[in-house]
Amino acid sequence: MRFKASIQNITTFTKLTASLNSLGPLAWVKLSDDQVCFTIIPEQGTQVWAVLSIDTIFETYTVQSAANNVINLEVPLISLNRALKTALNATSAQIRLTKKDNMPVLALTIVTTSSSNSYAAFPTTGANNNEDAFETSTFDSAIGGGNHETIITQEVPVRVLSPDIVAGLHEPQCREPDVHIILPPLVQLKSISDRFTRLAVVGAKSGMGTTSSSRTRLEVAANMHGCLKMSIKTDAMSISSVWTDLNNPELDPSQVAGGEIGIAEHPSTRMKQLGSADGRSEEGWASVRIDGRDWGKVMSVGRLGGRVIACFCHEHALILYVYLPNDNGEDESVLTVCGSAVTSCPNWSHPE
Amino acid sequence: MVVLNFTLTPEAAAKVHDLLVCLGKFSDTVAIEARRERFTFTALNSSKSAYAALTLDGSQFFTSYECVPTHGGPDSRFTCSMYTKALLSVFKGRLYDPLGRDGAIDRCEVTLQDRPDQTECRFIVKMVCNQGVIKTYKLTYEAVEVMHALFDRNVAKNRWSMHSGAMKEYIEYFGTKTEMLDIYAGDDGRAVFKSYTEKVSNGKEILKHPLVTAVAVNTSDFEEFNIQAGLHIIISVRDFKAIVIHADTLKTSLKAYYSYPTRPLQFNYGCDGLSCEFTLMTSGDYNAVPASSPAPAMLSRTNSRAQSAATERTENRSMRSEMPPPAEPASRRSARRRNPGSRKVKSPKRAEPDPDSLFVTQEEEDTRWDPVDYNKEEETLGWDASAEHDAAIFPTFRDSGSLTRTETEDSNEVLAPTQRVSQIKGLW
Repeated sequence: MRFKASIQNITTFTKLTASLNSLGPLAWVKLSDDQVCFTIIPEQGTQVWAVLSIDTIFETYTVQSAANNVINLEVPLISLNRALKTALNATSAQIRLTKKDNMPVLALTIVTTSSSNSYAAFPTTGANNNEDAFETSTFDSAIGGGNHETIITQEVPVRVLSPDIVAGLHEPQCREPDVHIILPPLVQLKSISDRFTRLAVVGAKSGMGTTSSSRTRLEVAANMHGCLKMSIKTDAMSISSVWTDLNNPELDPSQVAGGEIGIAEHPSTRMKQLGSADGRSEEGWASVRIDGRDWGKVMSVGRLGGRVIACFCHEHALILYVYLPNDNGEDESVLTVCGSAVTSCPNWSHPE
Repeated sequence: MVVLNFTLTPEAAAKVHDLLVCLGKFSDTVAIEARRERFTFTALNSSKSAYAALTLDGSQFFTSYECVPTHGGPDSRFTCSMYTKALLSVFKGRLYDPLGRDGAIDRCEVTLQDRPDQTECRFIVKMVCNQGVIKTYKLTYEAVEVMHALFDRNVAKNRWSMHSGAMKEYIEYFGTKTEMLDIYAGDDGRAVFKSYTEKVSNGKEILKHPLVTAVAVNTSDFEEFNIQAGLHIIISVRDFKAIVIHADTLKTSLKAYYSYPTRPLQFNYGCDGLSCEFTLMTSGDYNAVPASSPAPAMLSRTNSRAQSAATERTENRSMRSEMPPPAEPASRRSARRRNPGSRKVKSPKRAEPDPDSLFVTQEEEDTRWDPVDYNKEEETLGWDASAEHDAAIFPTFRDSGSLTRTETEDSNEVLAPTQRVSQIKGLW
């Protein structure tokens, strides 16, 4: 079993692990010849199925194993993220699977040109009262020259998963969505939904004093006329925000089952007949109710800066597709974030 | 009767703040030792594995300094102990602010009230602020005997020194929950700082194991580097972080002195009349090192002048009343490598970024994407009218009797009013 790669895009990899870490502490990572998959299936809440093309994060990538050159790992995201953060200013970073004291680790080897040589060459006030330090350092910078690289190795403990453990793992299937819409910038969405959730939390606390109602239900709805509505209702209040003039992307006939006919019969085509572009109509909304805290975690993917398409299955599920921009300008890597609606339980979610 | 009066510039007061923050990571209490010509803060951690002595030079650090201990001899001293938090609430951050914004002071005057004819013994700090505002703090203290850790630099043949700024860069690479730091000279002309945790764990627990981080630094990046090849010395990573972060506030070079594992290690740095010494217990494989060799094979770059200066200092130190270093019995040495976590330090907290920084760090920028913690009190709206709330959040230092009783933060006792309403004139 061999895995070795140099990390080409450290920033993206770091942000990806940070986003995933918001949703769950452990990720199942599948390394294969042509792609890297990150899967997070927490006990409760939102699942992530991320598929990345190799060159989104890696280059000079080798993976070898007895099981069709596929390696499955369980990785603690917090450690991986922490390790990657140290590589942010690196000149090069490599990652490989190795063993340390008979335990598998993902070892990152990071080379940085530390600024320490400049500290040594220009001692500041502190070193002034020590002539020796000054002399040695000037001597040093005179002959030292090029090789001031600092090498950092970070060892992230991992667990290797056998093929039969992951065999039963499949991305959940969901019926065709009623509405699909490109979300507004997530930073905007997040700050508003966080505020809503906070109000709901306080409302629940001060209201009845019942702790059971501390789950906060955000209602998110969208129509096929570029409108997104986010609202929260408690005993004491009802607030909502509506975005208009968003984009409902056209479906690609080659991607929909049944081609042109499939599109004609697609639920979203029907939804187009209903509702209006100003968001005032009561009709044409596909809505889901989601847990506010859970939604806050999902919004964490915004740091990746990708294009986000939300697919609404009315009162059933909300799926976000996050397309990572890459150098070619094409969207090749997709994060699928499957939020289950709180009210009804789709087949993959754990019942409350 | 003890006389102790001194005045600090805002810069010096800010340095006192910085050093108290550092000492707070070692111990809840800080001991003070005042002599005729110098003033020393010391702290010893609860496991007695780390000792810190930060000495302020009477003529260099202070604007004015006057100390006359009770018994007039040249070696006499005044000693007491105070809560680090209590001092920190007086020596707050932002005491020094060139723009004179909120919290900035003009000067700081400290006097000691310790006379048998007065009912109260107090450590009185006057913060003279701008616009003529004077904040006076009267702190209680406990008379204690101050002990010093003894360290003989003549024996400590292994030395290195490096600028604290570079060191700080390295500690930022370390994982957050690691406990131990192994320092050794690698074979390829590099010195390695390896932070790790020794914990035996199985199954799923493996994934909770903290990161193991090794930073390999080119020895030519050191200002001085004389380390016996193959010598591993292990200290607490939290102590090390606390020291480096403090050394970095002074922008000075950090020097390390040590002999071999299980013998104490000393870090030393200082500038502008402030001299800091930290003596730490070490662990490591004692047997791996030919400890008997009187002149260990140095890798490079001896520095004789620094050595002679150090010798002088050591002699000076050994005159003081002393506490032997917390040496371990030799019988335990074989088990040492396996189980160094047993000496872990309890009190130090995680290193925090500079709270005074005006700049948004990259990390902060990134945190806005993190999910909100709705349980944070300060974030939530609403109010709480209950009176006992305050007592729980703000630790109060009671103005009576033994200091140790005031330690419990969750005690329900509330600070009693010290002044009758009838005594207050001019407010109504």
